[in-house]
Amino acid sequence: MIELHAVTKRYGSLTAVDGVTFSVARGEYFALLGPNGAGKTTVVRLLLDFTHATSGTLSIDGISSKDPVCRASVGYLSENPRIPPNLTGWQYLQRCSELLGMSRLEAVSHIGDIVERIGMRGREHTKARTYSRGMIQRFGLGAALIGNPKLLILDEPTAGLDPIGIREVRRILESFKGQGMTVLLNSHLLSEVEKICDTAAIINSGRLLLKDSIPSIIRDGETLEDVFVRLVKG
Amino acid sequence: MTIPGSHSTVLVIAKHAFVDEVRQKSMIVIFVLSAFFVLLLRGCYKGEYVVDGQSLGSAAIAWTVSKVAFHVIAAGAMFMAALLTMRVFKRDRDEGTLSCILSRPIHRRQYVAGKILALWVLSMTFMFVLHGIVFFITALSMKTLAPAYLVASLISSLNLLFVVLVVFLLSFLLPDIAAFLCAMGIGIGSLAASGIHSFSQSQMGQVMMQHSPGITGWKLFYYLWPGLFGTQQSAFSLVGYGGGMSPYPFVNVISYCLILCILLLHRFRNEEIA
Repeated sequence: MIELHAVTKRYGSLTAVDGVTFSVARGEYFALLGPNGAGKTTVVRLLLDFTHATSGTLSIDGISSKDPVCRASVGYLSENPRIPPNLTGWQYLQRCSELLGMSRLEAVSHIGDIVERIGMRGREHTKARTYSRGMIQRFGLGAALIGNPKLLILDEPTAGLDPIGIREVRRILESFKGQGMTVLLNSHLLSEVEKICDTAAIINSGRLLLKDSIPSIIRDGETLEDVFVRLVKG
Repeated sequence: MTIPGSHSTVLVIAKHAFVDEVRQKSMIVIFVLSAFFVLLLRGCYKGEYVVDGQSLGSAAIAWTVSKVAFHVIAAGAMFMAALLTMRVFKRDRDEGTLSCILSRPIHRRQYVAGKILALWVLSMTFMFVLHGIVFFITALSMKTLAPAYLVASLISSLNLLFVVLVVFLLSFLLPDIAAFLCAMGIGIGSLAASGIHSFSQSQMGQVMMQHSPGITGWKLFYYLWPGLFGTQQSAFSLVGYGGGMSPYPFVNVISYCLILCILLLHRFRNEEIA
């Protein structure tokens, strides 16, 4: 589903991503882990063509990430989702559906389902300026789910959520398992990653340190956090 | 999932941008105040005006008032278009609209085209409605209709497209207020260029310029500077009171619009999306 080959991104003298190569199979739940400034968000931005790679190639579903068509079945939740304050959550989701060419009728039932799924029933018609960070996060996830994407790219989806919210997001993501959806998850919450994901890659200073299935990464008596700290501290 | 057509995506982005702008309270207040001031023009048609001891006829008064109103409204609409455009890109980035749009199967050029279309149509509507008020006031006062006045308004909207493009492009390179001031500077420069050109066409101007060494420089200034005021003047000549309609200002402004479009698309193609 996702292919990165020798991807490098430089900002002047700073190398944010350094020759990273990995692939994510269809239906896989993949976690991209790393400390702050490791280059995880840059990888996501490269995949979405928000920034251009200095060298290397990236593709989604066999289509170059430079071609907008590759994003036809991609849902994206940014690290810091925002909703225009004058819109309601419903209007925001409706706009997202219009951008995908959905008819109004089609959008109404689809958005209804999504609002239910993200647990925002009853709050969808209030202005976004009244929403808490957690609520915006949920509507952001809802926007990513518009159009039933085949690939979900989530950049810190649980940031700002309380423990119940975190559990809800996990429940939502788990509900897609076995339906062929691929998930690329950027997260610091290693315990959550361990519960949700099948595969993980650890990246530090722009370099890929490890990529394997989670059961293979974790040795006896270790947690994902132990492995992460061991690898990053080197 | 189907991918929406290129045109429909541009229209959807334009619709969202248009609605966002119209919903802003400042936009509504500016429009209402402008309409109120334009309505005050009614009084100008009723007064008696004496020039060199001779009383002016009602037709001359109507022509002068509608001409002044035409140019003032067109200049005000350019000011408005610059104000609306200068914050658009940064607001979209700050409110997450930009990343929301571009994470979809949408090309960057579609985003730019949608925004330009929305701002152009909005400022054009603003100008057209105000010109429409003058049109009706003139029609009621003079008991005659001059539909060419409205056509001239539509033609003048070419300037608004130019302003939207300039401010949009400059807002990537400069602070918002600097982009706005640059656009205003171009407008003032255009007024000066047209004034010099009109003077050079007069008898006195031709005599003076024959002896002036800087004549080529001024001619170049007129021909190369964006001809915004020239476009307005040429458009207004359609109303029938002025001289003939000169095609040069239109060619000039359309050429600038094309160049700005290319530069804008090139600049935005390489823009880092936060």
